[in-house]
Amino acid sequence: MSKLGIVSYGTYIPKYRISIEEIAKVWDDDPNEIISQLQVSSKSVLGPDEDVATMSVEAARNTISRWKGNPQDIGAIYVGSESHPYAVKPSATIVAAAIDAEKELTAADLEFACKAGTAGMQMCFGLVKSEMIKFGLAIGSDDSQAKPRDPLEYTAGAGSAAFLIGKERVVAELEGTYSITTDTPDFWRREGAVFPSHGNRFTGQPAYFQHIVDASKGLMEKLGTKPSDYNHVTFHQPNTKFPLTVAKMLGFTTDQIDISLICKNIGNAYSASSMLGLAHILNNSNPGDRIFMTSYGSGAGSDAFSFLITDDIEALKSYPLTVEHYINNKEEINYGKYSRFKGILR
Amino acid sequence: MEPPKIWRERREKYLALGILCQECKKKSFPITQYCPHCSSKNITELKLAQTGKILHFTRVSQTAEELMFYAPYIISLVELDDGIKVTGQITDIKLEELSEGTKVRMVFRVLSKNGEEGLIGYGFKFVPI
Repeated sequence: MSKLGIVSYGTYIPKYRISIEEIAKVWDDDPNEIISQLQVSSKSVLGPDEDVATMSVEAARNTISRWKGNPQDIGAIYVGSESHPYAVKPSATIVAAAIDAEKELTAADLEFACKAGTAGMQMCFGLVKSEMIKFGLAIGSDDSQAKPRDPLEYTAGAGSAAFLIGKERVVAELEGTYSITTDTPDFWRREGAVFPSHGNRFTGQPAYFQHIVDASKGLMEKLGTKPSDYNHVTFHQPNTKFPLTVAKMLGFTTDQIDISLICKNIGNAYSASSMLGLAHILNNSNPGDRIFMTSYGSGAGSDAFSFLITDDIEALKSYPLTVEHYINNKEEINYGKYSRFKGILR
Repeated sequence: MEPPKIWRERREKYLALGILCQECKKKSFPITQYCPHCSSKNITELKLAQTGKILHFTRVSQTAEELMFYAPYIISLVELDDGIKVTGQITDIKLEELSEGTKVRMVFRVLSKNGEEGLIGYGFKFVPI
């Protein structure tokens, strides 16, 4: 039986960064205290001519170029985000047109806070496994919103990650996936509201930690694996402290999670967060490596995945536009320019 | 931008497509119904090279109302690696960091927004490599 898994991957992180110091200066906060709490030094900011659709297209194009396949073979495109440019009109159709995948395909935009992208991955795995489609493209992409002076303002970043799911030339074979879903109101944005609201400390224990722990333990129990069986692990990264803490709670070591921790440089990329961690791991993995990923989306839910890296990974690692490339391709901006780019100043 | 214009031009603007004349074998951009070189109708779509170099560039400070959010921006004549010359914006860069001959690659960006409630126009721009 042919393998089911990730066939290719592509990412995008905008060029602009604002440092924690720069934001703290505006609000007279102590930057050292915030950096020490969050373990984040700066966050990524979209340029004025970018949005979730443009980032999704860039990540999708990097996925296709790395794969070198025919986009007409893609039978489904799902874009997971909580910051789509349109309330009504899909980002997924823009992606389909911009990668020349029109028009024999299904497509939709998904929303589940920070885990809509991994929900799209699960949908693609199901469609490919059932042979309804040959390849499916799942994208997680966000330009996170945060009210000025809200604690979220320090970390709400931007980025995009795309995974092509299929059965041919699989680079990361899916060993299993498992989800936890409960109605937990830790973070929300009402229809028409500009900025999200959250339950402060409530977003931690009963929300982020409980769901990730339950989903991760549930998958490992289902597969009969344990943390030490994995070479690398990635979790949703609202800051750097949370994934490090949940890794420890589950029995993973700092060495296992270290590569995935991109949040310290770009902040929380919401729907793209755990997926950017996975893409960065894939580019630094070797055949035979075992990878674990658990996303988290407020509201709330977690999707856990277990992957086995195949020999075909080597052919994709030389593609130049990597997570590392985008992290290093940066320009610092001040709070004034940040306000203009975010549309706070009009 | 009106819906029919965005819909009609999406392949040209999203995918950066030009035409290849099957009679005179010359390439051109944008997409036209007839070859601009020999007037033949025997043409096929051609995907333009994704990289090129800047020939000339300038900064635009005063522009149409729907573009003022992005101003000042840089507009450039780019010679693509396949020899076709196209006009496009250079983004994510300051004017003083550019020079003629700078190598660039295509990216997908917002071109314009029709107010707060209208359609968003997307298409290609360039960033330095």
